Amino acid sequence: MSTTSEIAPTKCVGPDYRAEEQKPTATVSTAVDLANVTVLSQTPQLIALLSIIRDKRTDRGDFIFYSNRIIRLLVEEGLNHLPTIEHPVTTPVGRVYDGLAFQGKICGVSIMRAGEAMEQGLRDCCRSVRIGKILIQRDEETAQPKLFYDKLPEDIADRWVLLLDPMFATGGSAIMAVEVLKSRGVPEERIIFLNILASPEGISNFAAKFPKLRTVTAFIDQGLDDKNYIVPGLGDFGDRYYSM
Amino acid sequence: MRGRGDTRDLVDSLKGLGGDVRVVEHPDCTIAKRAHYAPPWADVSIIGIAGSSGSGKSTLSQAIVKKLNLPWVVILSIDSFYKSLDEEASRRAFRNEYDFDSPEALDFDVLVERLQDLKAGKRAEIPVYSFEKHARLDRTTAIYSPHVLILEGIFALYDPRVLKLLDMKIFCEADADTCLSRRILRDVKDRGRDIDGIIKQWFSYVKPNFEKFVDPQRKVADIIIPRGVENHVAMTMVTQFIQQKLHEKSRRHRAALTRLESQALTNPLSNKVVLLDPTPQLRGMNTLIHDMDTSTADFIFYFNRFCTLLIEKAMDNIPFASTTITTPLNHCYAGLKPRGEVSAVVVLRGGAALEAGLKRVLPDCKTGRVLIQSNLRTGEPELHYLALPKDIAAHEAVLLLDAQMSSGGSALMAVQVLVDHGVKADRIVLATYSAGRLGLHRLTTVFPEVTVVVGNVIQDVEERWVEKRYFRC
Repeated sequence: MSTTSEIAPTKCVGPDYRAEEQKPTATVSTAVDLANVTVLSQTPQLIALLSIIRDKRTDRGDFIFYSNRIIRLLVEEGLNHLPTIEHPVTTPVGRVYDGLAFQGKICGVSIMRAGEAMEQGLRDCCRSVRIGKILIQRDEETAQPKLFYDKLPEDIADRWVLLLDPMFATGGSAIMAVEVLKSRGVPEERIIFLNILASPEGISNFAAKFPKLRTVTAFIDQGLDDKNYIVPGLGDFGDRYYSM
Repeated sequence: MRGRGDTRDLVDSLKGLGGDVRVVEHPDCTIAKRAHYAPPWADVSIIGIAGSSGSGKSTLSQAIVKKLNLPWVVILSIDSFYKSLDEEASRRAFRNEYDFDSPEALDFDVLVERLQDLKAGKRAEIPVYSFEKHARLDRTTAIYSPHVLILEGIFALYDPRVLKLLDMKIFCEADADTCLSRRILRDVKDRGRDIDGIIKQWFSYVKPNFEKFVDPQRKVADIIIPRGVENHVAMTMVTQFIQQKLHEKSRRHRAALTRLESQALTNPLSNKVVLLDPTPQLRGMNTLIHDMDTSTADFIFYFNRFCTLLIEKAMDNIPFASTTITTPLNHCYAGLKPRGEVSAVVVLRGGAALEAGLKRVLPDCKTGRVLIQSNLRTGEPELHYLALPKDIAAHEAVLLLDAQMSSGGSALMAVQVLVDHGVKADRIVLATYSAGRLGLHRLTTVFPEVTVVVGNVIQDVEERWVEKRYFRC
């Protein structure tokens, strides 16, 4: 992939009731016109959280805490794509609430190791969720991603899958993970990919390759550099979360 | 209304400097109807009780407070306003040669200022005077939101500026020998004096001053009470007067709330009312929270999860500033950071149910607490307890948390409390799980600058079932 030289979009961000001049400016997510990609609403709060985890001076404790907050928002948004049915209930004060109930079972699948950092956020929202794992690493000889290990729920073919990977650069591992899931009988339309930071070219390619799969991301960055790192990025997510 | 006045004053003063003045429309001015809310403490009734030393003023005041047994009736002793003594005067005081029984010894200017603050519904810092040291201590005691204040002291009816602020003037009377013997007992026991000194003071200062300054106050008194607390008829008269004042205040407060209701329902909701998007996930959580058959464990889990999103949404409404950061790959990113400290104030009891969500978003946020309860009989909200972070007025944003807002009475009162403590209304973000349209209208017509983040808007006034379910009692 080539280095992108596009100018990052800068906007005044803030609630609608504030005048433009009262809203501070910040770089927001690159817009992509893809029906199956949802970018979280670019609120000042989300931008501030991303600013903290992008900052190289942020220590590991803060990195974990603030990325967890973003992950929870991703999970909450991802779950919106599950099917629902009408379900009216009676409240303790006797009022009828026109409610909704969710249909279908879910599970999480994390792409090791950075994806595992998103499991806590998933559990915060779905207490006893089953979580499978997939280990994909670059093969030293071919330089291609290779499946090393997987452990998935046996009935995964009957479930909706929340696929977890915080960083999406060229998307080699995510593409392979989706192929593993499909080979276990999970239909593409029942996979929801949750991601914090993506490159525009990677995510466009992914969305075109799997048109029925849904991606939910917090931010689409400017592009990739010549080493295929996301720019401006946030560094190596796994290192910052687990070991730095 | 206040905002408009401020703008004009500012413009006038700038004109005086001959500068080029561009009148910027103050946001308040564009709101045609800014309603006014007067909390029940806005016009405190003050009762002055004067009389000779040892005539039973403080015993009478305490008996009144005890009989009424309400947290809104507060005693303020004029002794707190003794002037601090300089070294020379202090030496005389220790020799019992300083005249504490002359009006000169009291700082009436500070007293009048504090009483005016209280009349305006503001918080007043009362000096603490030490009789052992003959000096004001560094600390002060705060008085805030009394509905009735009893000002007690030998010169409570002395200063004409104080007299103007009093709603009832009482003069206590007792025989001179009763007064002297009470004074001896009190000064030996409570103030560590010796009998010779006390008697010396009595004849050189107390008695002459009584005749010259204290006794003439009976001329301005509304009632003169002989025999103090033993005088049951007088006690009943005074307590009935206070009860009537409290009743009037409560009636006016409730009428003010009702007035806000009639003008509220016709208008659309203010654009500073921010509703959580009713996404399928939120509606699903709401279904479990609303369903009376949901288990307690599930109710608490889903309520906490919902409130985490509510607090995240509230945080979108705090002020941010641009900041440029450097990523580990040494690229720059034009991001944002909060402009300053964000704290929270929990409206008890319901608001405490939002604290789990608050801690997930802001684990170390300073948290104030306000206990506001609705009177079971009248439905009137009443302020019982208050503990706020000291530096709250300097915080860039204050999240005010309550589980449910129905008629808006307690929310109005909570916002008023914050405003009285120096928090600008436009820095307050009220977050509530559910709110009635009526309450939202009331709050936003009185405080249009306040942002309200709401999980659910309901049509009617509803009983506070959420906190009952959350705390299981």
